[in-house]
Amino acid sequence: MSNLVHPASLNAFQQFRQACSLLSDTSRATLPAWYQEALDLDFQVHIRSDGTSVRAFFYDRAKKEWSDAPQISEATLTEQEAASTYAQQLLKHVRSLKGTSLGVVLHIADEFATAEMKPELNNPAALQDLRETAFDMPGEILDDSSVPPDQGSWRVLPYPASGSEVIGTTITVSRRLGPFVAVLRSLGDSENFPMVTHSLSAPLVAVMGLHSVVRKDRGKPAVGILQYPWFTVLAFFNEHHDLRLVRTLQHRGIRRPSNFRHALATTNASLEFVEPDLYVVPLGAEVDQKVPEDLERSFPGSLVETVAFPVPGPVPAWAPEAILSLEPMPEETEGLSHTFGVLRTEKWFLQDFLPAVKETIELFPTKNEMRLLRFLKLGRVAVFALAVLGLAWLAFGVFTVIRRPEWAFNESESKAVQQRLVNLTQERQRVDHWNNLLEDRSKAWSTMEAFARLFPAKSGLLLKTFSHTVSPDSAPGQTKVGFVKEWTISGMARDEALEYLNALNTREGISGHFSEISKVTGNLAFDPAPTTRTIVVNVKTQENSTFKQMPLEEIVDSDDATYPFTFNLTITQRFESTDPLAISASKAP
Amino acid sequence: MYKQSIILFGIVIPVIIAVLVIGACAFFRNKITTSFATKAQYYTGYEKSRMGALEIEAQLSRQRESSEQWKSLVGQETFSLVTTNLRAIAEDLPPKEFQQTAFERLGQSGGFGGISAQKSSGLKFNFRGTYRTVQRAFLELETQMPNLQLQELRIDPSANSDSSLLNFQVVYTAWEN
Repeated sequence: MSNLVHPASLNAFQQFRQACSLLSDTSRATLPAWYQEALDLDFQVHIRSDGTSVRAFFYDRAKKEWSDAPQISEATLTEQEAASTYAQQLLKHVRSLKGTSLGVVLHIADEFATAEMKPELNNPAALQDLRETAFDMPGEILDDSSVPPDQGSWRVLPYPASGSEVIGTTITVSRRLGPFVAVLRSLGDSENFPMVTHSLSAPLVAVMGLHSVVRKDRGKPAVGILQYPWFTVLAFFNEHHDLRLVRTLQHRGIRRPSNFRHALATTNASLEFVEPDLYVVPLGAEVDQKVPEDLERSFPGSLVETVAFPVPGPVPAWAPEAILSLEPMPEETEGLSHTFGVLRTEKWFLQDFLPAVKETIELFPTKNEMRLLRFLKLGRVAVFALAVLGLAWLAFGVFTVIRRPEWAFNESESKAVQQRLVNLTQERQRVDHWNNLLEDRSKAWSTMEAFARLFPAKSGLLLKTFSHTVSPDSAPGQTKVGFVKEWTISGMARDEALEYLNALNTREGISGHFSEISKVTGNLAFDPAPTTRTIVVNVKTQENSTFKQMPLEEIVDSDDATYPFTFNLTITQRFESTDPLAISASKAP
Repeated sequence: MYKQSIILFGIVIPVIIAVLVIGACAFFRNKITTSFATKAQYYTGYEKSRMGALEIEAQLSRQRESSEQWKSLVGQETFSLVTTNLRAIAEDLPPKEFQQTAFERLGQSGGFGGISAQKSSGLKFNFRGTYRTVQRAFLELETQMPNLQLQELRIDPSANSDSSLLNFQVVYTAWEN
């Protein structure tokens, strides 16, 4: 991961690629330890440096066991190579315990300084903003403009006690140990093993732990006197055990500050503390043990008590900060002061003084970004699957279609067949046309057969004339034209033939004859059945003026005078234009 | 600082690409479906035409022989063909029972020919003969020349009342090509 580039220097796609490589090449997406605090991890190393000694302790959170960590020296803290070697040792140790992460908590006990904030910032509601400003731009909140803000790491500590003239102060430590924790973090990054650092101010942690040693039933102000090898911290609490002031007195080469009694007395006076309880906390292996006796003499009205925090096995009593930093919040918070309640909950005492620089932090995606990246990876799989489904859908559709004979069909074949159909249709029209014209609609032989069968021999009739005409209807514009056939027959009739003529002179009579002729000749023109045809018959009989009554034996069939009647028979058969025998008016196609 | 690029390249662009791919798939499928529908339409038309052609072909194959015969018939000069046919028919009939007394070509086709655009010509014959013999002659003639359509037929007894011969006057419309 050494080739990571700050995302601000990358374009969007390069940023995305870098994030993806971090997702795939590191455990940042799967190990939550990368985004947890060191004090929350299962395996922790607590390193305490007070200027005279450096001690390291290992803590197994799951087992709640403390043990000695690999030995460490002052040189380890200051020399990069030694720091790297030590980090490797820690890593090997944790891996041997099958740990997946390591929290390194640095307790800085060799320096502690305070500086006043600008008076105009005395707004309790702005504490959170001040906390962030101290982190990023400490120069904007420091009252003393001569203090170079870039040389140290600054944090705000609130004074929650009522009646405080200021809302808090600033605590600073130098960045001397910054390279050491940076080496640890860098090794964690390169080894893809979360090594999370947290640099605490040991005196602040000790102040946080005072709630367990201060007598709460006294109803008096109290002063916590934290004896470190190189300085003494005075923490002033009011009668409600709320922090009013923190002062630090440098030892400057001797075992206690030279103006210790005076400083304590004047601060008590300025805070209007009367005979406050004095709790002396030795926090170094060789701190001055006579301070409590001197205090008893100098402040006879005050309760002077030397207190020690309970610590487990390998941790010495004078280095309790590691234990205090992990101490859980008391279950009953009702009796706690604001200092030991809200300030502790909001981790004002546990502020990290040597965090990774902003540019280094920004190299890596945040926890939410990694989660988003991981989630979107699944989303992309779903989107890709959808796209593949779309392609499969297309392929299936294409495959289904190209298997059909219609797909391979050549349109030119259609045109050829259509042309063939057109030709055949034309030929059929031609055939139909000639079929129509050549129909047996009007033939002489069948007409004569009809005539002969209409008037059989020895029927008492003598035929004189026969006329048959066929004339088409006049119907311009029609595709088919009907026609009319007319038979006109005249002749002579005897008495016995009148009945026959009368029988013919009915629709049924003439239709019966025509039907018979149609069957006999096979000529459908005589078929009276189609509704597109009508037959009308008319017979007129008259007395024969030349008739002469004569004996039967003298009668000759060809003699007109032997017939008492004459007759005229007219048969009209009409074929409509819708009749199958109607004539096509068009020319052959 | 990665959030925007993660959202952009992690989901927005993949979704856009997927939408484009799916859209392209839908477009091409629609295009193929449309193309297939057109081809299917052609194919259906082709099949319909093919089946229709086969059906017509089957019909025509049954009629083709007579059709060719008719085509040949109507293609000949009607007047001379009738003359030829009548002469041949008369040879098989008793001469006394069938005599052609007149044959006239009518200049302008009337009757059926007048209402059809098809070319035709009018023919007028006069015969003398017995009823059945003349009927037989007509049967022969009309069988050989189905393009003759009877327009008019008159039958009158002979002036000689003792004769069994009848006078026939017949007018035909002959269809021609």
